[in-house]
Amino acid sequence: MSLSDYLLSTLGVYGLPVLFATLFIGCIGVPMPASLLLLAAGSFTEQGEMSLWPVLALSAAGAIVGDNVGYALGRWGGRRVSGLLSRMVGGDERLKEAEAWLNRRQGAAVFFSRWLLTPLGPVVNLTSGLTGYSWPRFLVYDVLGELLWVALYVMLGRFFSDRVQEMGELLGDFVWMIVGLVVALVLGWKLLQYFRARSPEAPKAKKPRPLVDEAS
Amino acid sequence: MLNRIKNLKWHQWLVLLVFILAVVVTGFFAVSTIRRAVYWRNHRDEPIRPWMSVRYVSRSYRVPPHVLYQAIGLAPVAHDRRPLREIAREQNRPAEDLIKELQDAIVHARPPYPPPPPPHQSDGGPPP
Repeated sequence: MSLSDYLLSTLGVYGLPVLFATLFIGCIGVPMPASLLLLAAGSFTEQGEMSLWPVLALSAAGAIVGDNVGYALGRWGGRRVSGLLSRMVGGDERLKEAEAWLNRRQGAAVFFSRWLLTPLGPVVNLTSGLTGYSWPRFLVYDVLGELLWVALYVMLGRFFSDRVQEMGELLGDFVWMIVGLVVALVLGWKLLQYFRARSPEAPKAKKPRPLVDEAS
Repeated sequence: MLNRIKNLKWHQWLVLLVFILAVVVTGFFAVSTIRRAVYWRNHRDEPIRPWMSVRYVSRSYRVPPHVLYQAIGLAPVAHDRRPLREIAREQNRPAEDLIKELQDAIVHARPPYPPPPPPHQSDGGPPP
């Protein structure tokens, strides 16, 4: 039995606490089928088995509290804890990549990793804490992004309330495609700079942009 | 170009490697997304899974709930969120049995699909 099957079953039996706990744990960085659960909850609200507002409120609360635990871990847990977590979420490269990305556009990174680039969310939480990104700013972008994510997925679940599982799989693949695309674009741009910096016809006075390693 | 690739430092190699990986991942998920979207367009029913409740299945397959409840030997329950897995446990049998009975009930509750072809009309005129 898969984890998502199990959680969807318990969502039917226990309702809101399962939703809160799954989003909370998922946002800290433990892989959880949070998006699928949001879709299913949306479907249950459409069928009259759950109420819409409590679903939206509890889901957003779970996600926001989880994100802030991730931020706090990064900020006060130090490098060792984040190193351990980075191995859990996919390795140092992903952490460094997110950090370099964060250094330039932290607010946008927090906002977009809440609802569009969701697999990067836990890494962005940690690096926001690690790089000492202002907590009030983090909270504002976090709340905005999570509200959008929760509302978007619950509404999709309501709209496609008879095909939640397939919708979840489709959205999951779509999100990973976007993540891959963004990473490819960022790294492709970086590679282009390496090649330009090395070409003899490039102006010598132009200093190449700092690399990932030097930035950290 | 080849010369420039050879001159890369180790961390630049790493960036190149992750870049290639990201392109492969993007391609893989793009193909998968398109496949699922095509499937989505052509199929309306999603396979019955043990997490689904009887009411969810009835909604998904557009079959009245009482037909499904009857098929698995239960009286209809309003606001029943119990997943099939739970009902199967209460009935002491595997969820797959339950799913099979629901599938049979759905097939019998619906008009035949695809609809049968129109009556044979070879000469264009109505039969005498």
